[in-house]
Amino acid sequence: MLSIQNLQASVDDKQILKGLNLEVKAGEVHAIMGPNGSGKSTLSQVLAGNSAYEVNGGDVTFEGKNLLDMSTEDRAREGVFLAFQYPVEIPGVSNLQFMKTAMNNIRRYRGEEEMNAATFMKLAKEKIQQVNLSPAFLKRGVNEGFSGGEKKRNEIMQMLMLEPKLAILDETDSGLDIDALKVVAEGVNALRSPERAVIMVTHYQRLLDYIVPDFVHVLANGKIIKSGGKELALELEEKGYGWLGIDEEANA
Amino acid sequence: MSESTMSESKKSAAVLSDIAFIEASNGASPLLKNFCQTKKQALAAWPIPTRKTESWKYSAKRLKLADNYPTLTDVASSYQPAYELDCYTLLLSNDRITLNDGNIQGLSIKRFSELNETEAAQVRSGIIAESKDFQFADLNAAQFIDGIYIQIEDKAQIDKPIKIVFEHLGQGMSFPRVFVYVGKNASFELIEELNITSDEDGDAFINSVCDITIADNARLRYLRMNLGSVKNENSACKHIGATGVKMLRNSRFESYCMALGSDLARHDLHVKMLEQGAECDLNGVCVTRDQQHFDNHTCIEHVAPHCTSNETYRCIADQHSSIVFNGRIHIHPDAQKSLGSMSNKNLLLSSKAEINAKPELEIYADDVKCAHGTTMGQLDETEMYYLKTRGVSSEQAKLMLTLGFVLEVVRATPIESIAEFWEQQLTDILSFQES
Repeated sequence: MLSIQNLQASVDDKQILKGLNLEVKAGEVHAIMGPNGSGKSTLSQVLAGNSAYEVNGGDVTFEGKNLLDMSTEDRAREGVFLAFQYPVEIPGVSNLQFMKTAMNNIRRYRGEEEMNAATFMKLAKEKIQQVNLSPAFLKRGVNEGFSGGEKKRNEIMQMLMLEPKLAILDETDSGLDIDALKVVAEGVNALRSPERAVIMVTHYQRLLDYIVPDFVHVLANGKIIKSGGKELALELEEKGYGWLGIDEEANA
Repeated sequence: MSESTMSESKKSAAVLSDIAFIEASNGASPLLKNFCQTKKQALAAWPIPTRKTESWKYSAKRLKLADNYPTLTDVASSYQPAYELDCYTLLLSNDRITLNDGNIQGLSIKRFSELNETEAAQVRSGIIAESKDFQFADLNAAQFIDGIYIQIEDKAQIDKPIKIVFEHLGQGMSFPRVFVYVGKNASFELIEELNITSDEDGDAFINSVCDITIADNARLRYLRMNLGSVKNENSACKHIGATGVKMLRNSRFESYCMALGSDLARHDLHVKMLEQGAECDLNGVCVTRDQQHFDNHTCIEHVAPHCTSNETYRCIADQHSSIVFNGRIHIHPDAQKSLGSMSNKNLLLSSKAEINAKPELEIYADDVKCAHGTTMGQLDETEMYYLKTRGVSSEQAKLMLTLGFVLEVVRATPIESIAEFWEQQLTDILSFQES
């Protein structure tokens, strides 16, 4: 589904990704771990299409198409979803209005009929309760006044509404208590299917107890230096990044 | 009148009294005759504002006053309400007054020509009437034909809002004037709506005054709507209006001013809290596009101690348009324990749009809390990006964020059909793409 070859990217004239390679097939769940500054968030942002990041080498193919050539909104319509590490607050736009516009855009792009107001409302209420948020949140501004945990859960709620093909979770577990973590994990696991893929970018191994990955990769110095199964995450947790010869300070 | 004023304005008139206006017949209001005469004389001392006149700095060039303003055409009103609302309607159309609704429980409506001595004295002591600061209000006083006087009886709770429509059709200048007295403990909703349509013969100009007194414990909600103007290719639509509010003990004033730009539009809103415990809450939304202009000047005076004021204005300027927001708070020396806050946020949608925002705080008492915040910006890139990562297009994102900027105030508007009407208006205006 996703093929990243020799990806190089920089931000503010600093080279972050220095030749990253990754293959993700439909149905797979991948975890990407690494010390701070290794390029984990950069990878997420480059895949989503953040213009603040400059791609200066390599290719990314999504479902056979050149992802890097697509605009941010087209990538979303093709089925890429990024759950942000720090979701922004947008007080003047309601969660409901936002989701309705997004969902109907994506459906139109796929040649599907737009959802009518009543069906949409029903779906929205269902999904928001699935992430343990009150339906009252729907009328509020996007992430307006939400706590950190509520923002992360709202990201998952959006993901459940839009049903992407590729879900990228950028440190979704950071700052969450165990209950919120479980809610997030349940949401992601509910979307697991042979047609979908998930990339979890995470600093901590804890999330992987709940969303069990098929593959674990270690990102350091702008490249993936080691890949393995879920045991790799446990080894890292136990031995630290130094075990792989990574100098954590040099990365940051 | 200095020499430089003459060369600045490029017109033959250096003062407003040089311009030939229609002969005002304010002999129709005998008790106000002297008042009107005094104002007319005062006009001779006012030079026509230029960009060097501080309070007209950004708007003077739009004035472009003609040498004369002919008699207003006797055209039938074309007013149709644009939203559904069960209310009483008063119409001032080209200075002709139509009082559609007869006796309303709890209040009396009169023409200025019908006033008794007490009522006339009230009118003369209105904030705008007494002020020496508003040149165009003086012009209105010198030129108005007849005005509307509304008195809400003590303790009356008026069941429906009263809507006053200032309508102007065709070329010329009209001078609608309204005075409202809200009796003690009464409560009332007032809607002021401005509609201007010019024709090919010449500029259309409304010069309006609304002077309000709110007595002890009374509450007034004021919705003012400048729906922009329909103009011809060759003639402009202009509006200069002033609203004055005198507040007595423990009274409440809430305003919602919704304004769309015009060739020249200016609103001066002056609130004077004269006695303890008064509270005012001023809200405004102002949106301009194309080559339009809107000038908002507000002034809130804390004269007595223990008064509270809040002000929230949101302005959006697109294309080549311009907006002025001048928000003044004046806390007098004896006004201890005053609480004031002002929030003015401004959004520029194009590199050629211009917004001039100036908060003015003049504080003479030492035990007060007065906060103000003014922001000026463009659409936030991070917010745009976030919306796009969910498949929202750039145009949709821009509209959602722009509307969102003003919706806080629009949705706070207490009359639902008006809030919905404004939301629709703003959506239409902001999503219209320049070809």
